[in-house]
Amino acid sequence: MNALPYQDTKPVGAAGFYTAINATFRFIQGRFGADGLRRYWEDIGTRYYRPVSDRWTAGGLAAVADYWRTFFAAEPGSDVSVTDAADHVEVEVRTCPMIAHLREQSREIVPCFCQHCYFVSEAIGRPAGVTVRVEGGGGSCRQRFYLAASAPAAQTLDAIKEVQS
Amino acid sequence: MIGCYDFCGHYEWTFEWLREMGGDELVKQYWDEAIHQDSQRHAGEMIVNEGIEGMKKYWAHTLEEEAAGFICTSSDKFYRIDMHACPSKGFLIQNGLEQYRDYCDHCIGWIGPLMKRAGFVIDHQHNHCGQCWWEMRRTEDAAVPATRPADDVRLRADWKMPGAMIDSYVHATNVDQKEVLPPEA
Repeated sequence: MNALPYQDTKPVGAAGFYTAINATFRFIQGRFGADGLRRYWEDIGTRYYRPVSDRWTAGGLAAVADYWRTFFAAEPGSDVSVTDAADHVEVEVRTCPMIAHLREQSREIVPCFCQHCYFVSEAIGRPAGVTVRVEGGGGSCRQRFYLAASAPAAQTLDAIKEVQS
Repeated sequence: MIGCYDFCGHYEWTFEWLREMGGDELVKQYWDEAIHQDSQRHAGEMIVNEGIEGMKKYWAHTLEEEAAGFICTSSDKFYRIDMHACPSKGFLIQNGLEQYRDYCDHCIGWIGPLMKRAGFVIDHQHNHCGQCWWEMRRTEDAAVPATRPADDVRLRADWKMPGAMIDSYVHATNVDQKEVLPPEA
């Protein structure tokens, strides 16, 4: 089974779509505020990415690592390593492809943009008993995925930087 | 992270999320404000400033990047796209993704307001199977698009699939100007 539930005919996505993701966040935040944007992220993680949750449920942390390796291989411009540690999966994002592209295009980035990685991944992981901690942001970050039973202290949003455009 | 590899999947999912939150009017506002005026503002700059030349530049780049199956033709009077393999709708069909009632509406949902701003109108049809055609002309040009024997998507054997309705727009700039034609029309 492929780690990505939705398959395209081309191996790598089109970076031009990153501007639409950023614009979507801005639109939803403008209409529904920060709580509405978080609800969107929770809903997309819970509903659209449900097949990812199912893979993580079936395969545990190995499936989490497999997913992120395959995911970033299909995102143009990413510089990311995924490491299997003893009790977690570590995703080190040296170059976030989306932030890099938005900056190249001189786009105004939604300041809380990097929080989406926490809220979406947390919603994907919840049915699988997986939780995430995100540290950094604004173009590079470290994301650690744990089994919920052995996770460290809860995520604080202060640990996720606001994005400077 | 939400990525671009499966963008069309979560984009389409977002239409239905917005419809549930605020109805069809909110979806239309999203296409206009978030896509036309924000995400694709570079398209607006090219097309408003350069007209048909801007369309040629914008779609030559975009459709190549998305690996579309298409033919573009133009003159000093019109710009036309015959799409025989839409990568976006094709992705949704291939993966069985359908949350919103008509994904294809999003194109005229953002391109329509852009063309209105640029002084153009659109003749367009889509068959919900990854095929469509577009012809943009100046607003004051009342010409009816002619059939183009060499590359007209409507002449393909798979244009009218069994049971598939054809959504049709004539000199339009708004998604609400749709006329739905039965497959046999």
